[in-house]
Amino acid sequence: MFNTILSQYKATLSVFIVLLVIVVLELLQVRAAIYPSLLPAFQWLKNSTPLGYIGTTYGSIYATVQAMHLLTMGTLGGLVLATDLRLLGVMFRTTPSEVISNGTHKAFKVTLIAAVLTGIFCAAGVADKVYYMPVFWVKMLALAAGAAFVFLIKQPLLSSKPHSEINPWIIRGMAITSILVWFTVAASGRWIGFS
Amino acid sequence: MINELLLQFGQWMEAQQYSQMLVAGYYSYSWLEATHVLTLMVSIGSLFIIDFRMLGWILPNVSASTIADRLHKPMMIGFAVMFITGFLLVYAKPVETIQSLWFRIKMILLVLAFINAWVFNAKMKAADGSWNNDSVAPRGLRTGAILSLVLWCGVVTMGRYIPYDWADCDKTQNPTILWAAGCVDQLKVL
Amino acid sequence: MSDSKKIGDKELAAISASVIIFGGVMFHWVAEMISTVELLEMAYGTAKLFNNPLVF
Repeated sequence: MFNTILSQYKATLSVFIVLLVIVVLELLQVRAAIYPSLLPAFQWLKNSTPLGYIGTTYGSIYATVQAMHLLTMGTLGGLVLATDLRLLGVMFRTTPSEVISNGTHKAFKVTLIAAVLTGIFCAAGVADKVYYMPVFWVKMLALAAGAAFVFLIKQPLLSSKPHSEINPWIIRGMAITSILVWFTVAASGRWIGFS
Repeated sequence: MINELLLQFGQWMEAQQYSQMLVAGYYSYSWLEATHVLTLMVSIGSLFIIDFRMLGWILPNVSASTIADRLHKPMMIGFAVMFITGFLLVYAKPVETIQSLWFRIKMILLVLAFINAWVFNAKMKAADGSWNNDSVAPRGLRTGAILSLVLWCGVVTMGRYIPYDWADCDKTQNPTILWAAGCVDQLKVL
Repeated sequence: MSDSKKIGDKELAAISASVIIFGGVMFHWVAEMISTVELLEMAYGTAKLFNNPLVF
């Protein structure tokens, strides 16, 4: 029976195992132990790489890439809102939600990659500063959680069967979670700019 | 003359109590700026989806007029919030913003973007949905979409440059830049 | 519940992940609100949004 549960509920068990690992690592204070060893990597990113050099020397290039980062975030936000508001039944009600969620997923992937690449450049220019900012780490955590949620949980479920066969509350729950987590990524990013 | 008038208007706004309160408040200016930038996701996000659809990059199976119709309202709400917050940001730091070269270029690009949107809408109505279910719009509309993307990228980029002091009145001596940025006092000295 | 809307593995994973992430995000924002209110009270004595220090 145990083997049946293991084989039938792989995805669910994986979610709980990840949660368990995170909780255990927090209790063992592994994060606090690893944190100081990350500083050399951040300093290297700023001082020794072309990204860091260009970012710190040429303010106009840095500002332009920051603007590109903003534009990718804007596009990402639009895609997330269009998809998730359709899943919530607020927008595009005459179009099947499968069409919207599958039709925007490729653009979402491309935009997310562009956002991450421009984000790495922006972080490299101020790497020694963002290392010490809690809001930067919140953004990274939200980004990781959001990406994992979309690519490993939400999209696999939504593309596996017609949405009419999925419990509507599950769909709504995923949509709200997705909107919240990507909003957190964007808002934390803005707060990095203020710090 | 326009520069003098704009400077006087900016100085008048700066003397207002609410203008000073917006800047002096611990969080007020930051929250205003954060709202302005985060609303990009709604306004620019919606607009870019419409433009991408015209170019056939996204949702090619969905009728283009459906996408344009459904996203019109959130886009307009987003732009309304952008305008209100944008105006308040200028109101908070009027002289600094009015004398910013990047702000001025941003306003010009904004006007061009709205003219482009007007022409684009007119062309869409004239085309009357004949190409609606095609994956790519006709050439004229595609040109409008590309222009829209370029202009709005310019608006956002110029907005990002505003806080930087590269072309500030007291940082440059180039008469063309000083005139373009409306640095009236510095031009008189030259 | 009809057979076609049964809660399978992917659905259960989606519920669990949504609850965990939603909970984490809400915890973060509530904590942010609390620390913002505390900071404003430290700065101005009350958590007013618009404050002009020049008024004191």
